[in-house]
Amino acid sequence: MPGPRLFSILRQGSCLIASIHTALDDSQLLRFQQDLVETIGRDRARGVVIDVAALDVLDSFATSTLRDIGEMARLRGAATVVVGIQPEVAIAMVRLGLRTGVLETALDLEEGLARVDGRLAGAADGRRDR
Amino acid sequence: MNDEDDEVAGVTFGGATDQGRQTDDDELLPQLVSHLREHRNRLRQQWVSRIQGAHLLQAMTSQEMAAETTSVYDNYVEVLETGSVGALRDYARDLSERIIPRGVETQEVVGIVLLLRDVLARSLFEKYQRDLPLLNRVLDAYEPAANRIANTVAVSFVDERERVIRQQQDSIRELSTPVLRVRERLLILPIIGVLDTERARQLTEQLLSGIRAHRARVVVIDITGVPDVDEAVANHLVQTVDASRLMGASVIITGLSPEIAQTLVTIGVDLSRMDTIGDLQGGLEEAERLLGFSVTRDSEAAGP
Amino acid sequence: MIPIVRRIVAARVPDRATADDLVQETLARVLAAVERIEPGMVEPYAIVTARNVVATMWRDQDRQRRHQHRVVDLRPPELPDEDVLAQEDRHAMAEALTRLSERERDTLLAHEVSGQDTHSLAAELGSTAGAVAAQLNRTRARLRVEYLLAADRVEPPTERCRPVLLALSSGDRRRQREVDAARHLLECELCARLSEPLMGRGRSRDDEVRVAVRVDADVVAARQAARELAARLGFASTDLTEVATAVSEIVRNIVRFADAGEVLVELLDSPRRGIRITARDSGPGIPDVQEALREGYSTYRGLGLGLPGARRLMDEFAVASEPGRGTTVTMTKWREAG
Repeated sequence: MPGPRLFSILRQGSCLIASIHTALDDSQLLRFQQDLVETIGRDRARGVVIDVAALDVLDSFATSTLRDIGEMARLRGAATVVVGIQPEVAIAMVRLGLRTGVLETALDLEEGLARVDGRLAGAADGRRDR
Repeated sequence: MNDEDDEVAGVTFGGATDQGRQTDDDELLPQLVSHLREHRNRLRQQWVSRIQGAHLLQAMTSQEMAAETTSVYDNYVEVLETGSVGALRDYARDLSERIIPRGVETQEVVGIVLLLRDVLARSLFEKYQRDLPLLNRVLDAYEPAANRIANTVAVSFVDERERVIRQQQDSIRELSTPVLRVRERLLILPIIGVLDTERARQLTEQLLSGIRAHRARVVVIDITGVPDVDEAVANHLVQTVDASRLMGASVIITGLSPEIAQTLVTIGVDLSRMDTIGDLQGGLEEAERLLGFSVTRDSEAAGP
Repeated sequence: MIPIVRRIVAARVPDRATADDLVQETLARVLAAVERIEPGMVEPYAIVTARNVVATMWRDQDRQRRHQHRVVDLRPPELPDEDVLAQEDRHAMAEALTRLSERERDTLLAHEVSGQDTHSLAAELGSTAGAVAAQLNRTRARLRVEYLLAADRVEPPTERCRPVLLALSSGDRRRQREVDAARHLLECELCARLSEPLMGRGRSRDDEVRVAVRVDADVVAARQAARELAARLGFASTDLTEVATAVSEIVRNIVRFADAGEVLVELLDSPRRGIRITARDSGPGIPDVQEALREGYSTYRGLGLGLPGARRLMDEFAVASEPGRGTTVTMTKWREAG
């Protein structure tokens, strides 16, 4: 694939920060999912923050992909937070009929990392179930 | 062309027909302009009495009328002279801004400009009637410019009117849905009045940008002031709550009476995803709890 | 004048008796209007009238046909060059291709044959997807002209022929006026004949965009095209996102179920300003449209929001489908007044 990278996955402590840089089509989204889930397993990450601020559309497929990532990450012991959903994207998502609860969300990267840290602290207290 | 012959235009033009029309036409507008300047007072007076005769601009006093008509007249002639409508447009906007609050209507403004156009055309007709070919050319030169002026004034007025109306609507909207920051990370949105689809949409957009701007974590939406909370209103609220949540903010709805909540659940509105608390005070306490602040009460009254 | 009218009608209507009727009707209308027509404009007026009369007949036939089947237009999607390519004249096509510039040819082949999408083409060419799409449209227009000339093994008799044919082929009305295409078609027998397949292509203007849909990337291209076009009408950004999201849902169905199809995005002027998206495929069709519009309906990995979700995002929404023949989704969003 020519052109700039579509997404990046960086490690920060026990967390992964996955940023999507541009609009992705469905197969690119699936590759993102595959890469991210592999990295979670390989790095034994405890938290994942997915930054979708660059996406101008979060349709049903993108949302279900994010949900699946969250689910797979959970099975590997990592908490996932999606950050950076733009106001108009959020409105379109609810008008489309997407329900929250499908995704754990936070405003931005900073909030997302705080949220994940909070989760990990909670987990360290002995509660691993969610 | 004879320079000394600056008064008897008809003669000048009559004698110059073989010099080519282009030169003549270039001279026509200046001729016309100096004629209109020369007879400024008389023509303006005629115009004012036509305006009064047509019962236009009755909101104005006679002093105002005299001042505004003089300005419009001078601007008008200036456009004829320079061909540039910029100054007239600015003046027309300014005038519109002053007269719109007094209820002056679009047709009045168009009406007075057309009257001026007519007054001036008649005066040109009188002046050049002895030489019909010349009169035709004068009118040919005058009319496009006059039409352009009428158009400019009308468009400026309508633009200004729309702008004023938009501004009023915006301020009404903003007044009716202020997004208030109570403390760091906490917003209150008191909704007062009917919540229809369009308003719900604007309100949601406003709230979401408020969430982003203030980095809010919790929002309290108080609907005490919303009459008739029915299924449609509830569904709007559900969407607002969901969208806020996607931006990472939790929402607490206050001011929803238990009876109405019960009714909504009965008709199938899913309130389970909405955090509803009876009164605003209770909602704020819950919000602070969510933000991790401890709540202490002066009295030991029962909590929400 | 009569021969012109006859030629115009005959070129469009193969059946002789019908053609004669239409010629008569055209002449009757021209005569009725002759006093209102400026001198020298009678011929152009007659040409326009003849075309209108034929178009009206087609519309009526079309309406009848639709009512017969009680479904909307379910012809297989018209790919942009179908009317040309369908003739399968490889030699003429090869010849026509050699008449394009190297860059035009490479870009066109990469897109049409290798299926490379406009985005990756734009990345390679250092351009934007929109500019590449516009260039592709111009190239296709030229290719159609060159193909017709090659298939006929003729060279245009005058200097004006190619510009006129090109203007007709691209559907660019302003250009057609500039080169006075209508007048030229009266004078040039060759162009009058060659213009037929070109004019039959209908409109292709800057207030509409077509996106061929085959692969995942086309979903993104279609929704971006819709967003860009809608932005020209001054839609609020929330509306733009809703349009893009709805397009995404609808076009994905084409890729998933139908292999190939086409999306047409048009700006509307009447009855109000708005944007209309027509997504058409020749896939298996939806057996039960009502069922598909129900909440939670899903036949692939998704949240079951496709059709009903897109319907919620748009102001108007219609689905027509015929099993075995295809599906057409038409949806509109109006730009609020003021």
